[in-house]
Amino acid sequence: MNGARAQRLRAPLLLTFAALLAFEALGGLVLFYARLAYGLLPGERSHVLAGIPLALFYAAYLWQHWRRVSPIRARLDYALGLIAAASLAASLALGGALGWLWWRSRGSGEPPHYPEVVSAAHNISSMLVLTFVLAHLLAVLARDREPTAGRQRDS
Amino acid sequence: MHIPPFSLFSAVSELFVTAGVFWVIHRNWTRRPFPLPLFLAVALFEAFVNVMYMASRSSAAASDHSIAPNLRIFFALHGMLSLLAYLVFVILGVLAYQDQKEGRYWFRDRPAVTWTFIVVWIISVGSGEALFVARYLLPS
Repeated sequence: MNGARAQRLRAPLLLTFAALLAFEALGGLVLFYARLAYGLLPGERSHVLAGIPLALFYAAYLWQHWRRVSPIRARLDYALGLIAAASLAASLALGGALGWLWWRSRGSGEPPHYPEVVSAAHNISSMLVLTFVLAHLLAVLARDREPTAGRQRDS
Repeated sequence: MHIPPFSLFSAVSELFVTAGVFWVIHRNWTRRPFPLPLFLAVALFEAFVNVMYMASRSSAAASDHSIAPNLRIFFALHGMLSLLAYLVFVILGVLAYQDQKEGRYWFRDRPAVTWTFIVVWIISVGSGEALFVARYLLPS
């Protein structure tokens, strides 16, 4: 890994974003399994509330990242990054809609009714986030090993 | 029993997707050019058709209290395994593509990981097909 990239991967904004994303991913997987297997929603409140700072840090990171890597290039790491970015935006938007239903049902004594389509779309977009964020990161790191990596800037 | 068209389509297409996954691995294993268009097509089709189907069925099953507890757990385990298998396929495919550009063959160089992935994939697809058969083809 080149020095500039190593420094960027240790930036506080990226680390905070990554920590929030990991927290939300783990919480989402627990919710997915527990809801289906046992009809339970453990950590639902934390999952919803942590989505707010995640959205804010994501927006800040994406803006910074895009200013550095734009314009789009015809490369696999760019394609994977675009899919990851679109998936995370969709996941956050759909999660926001589900969170709004959770917020409105507070204090009513009734569990929120999550529409199946929105819930399924949130699940799949979240799964795409995990898949393509990891794939994008690996593709970028793999480029550092290429013989031409020293002559290429940014990714 | 009536079989919903999307369920039937997903059950059949999953077999073609599996053939595509195995073809990608086979090409890499035999040191032939990486089939990037096929890899991307399989990855996107799997995400937007079959995993979408699984996610929507899971969401429906979560609110269907008539499903037996053991079957719900089986649904959940199948769902988690499907997500894991898909994620690993995309990651390994990207690694194989990058390595192959430099003359290395990721799957062939790592037979233990490759065979583990193949087994996980077969279990994932097999459990989905088993659910389809149990739900729609076997008498209740």
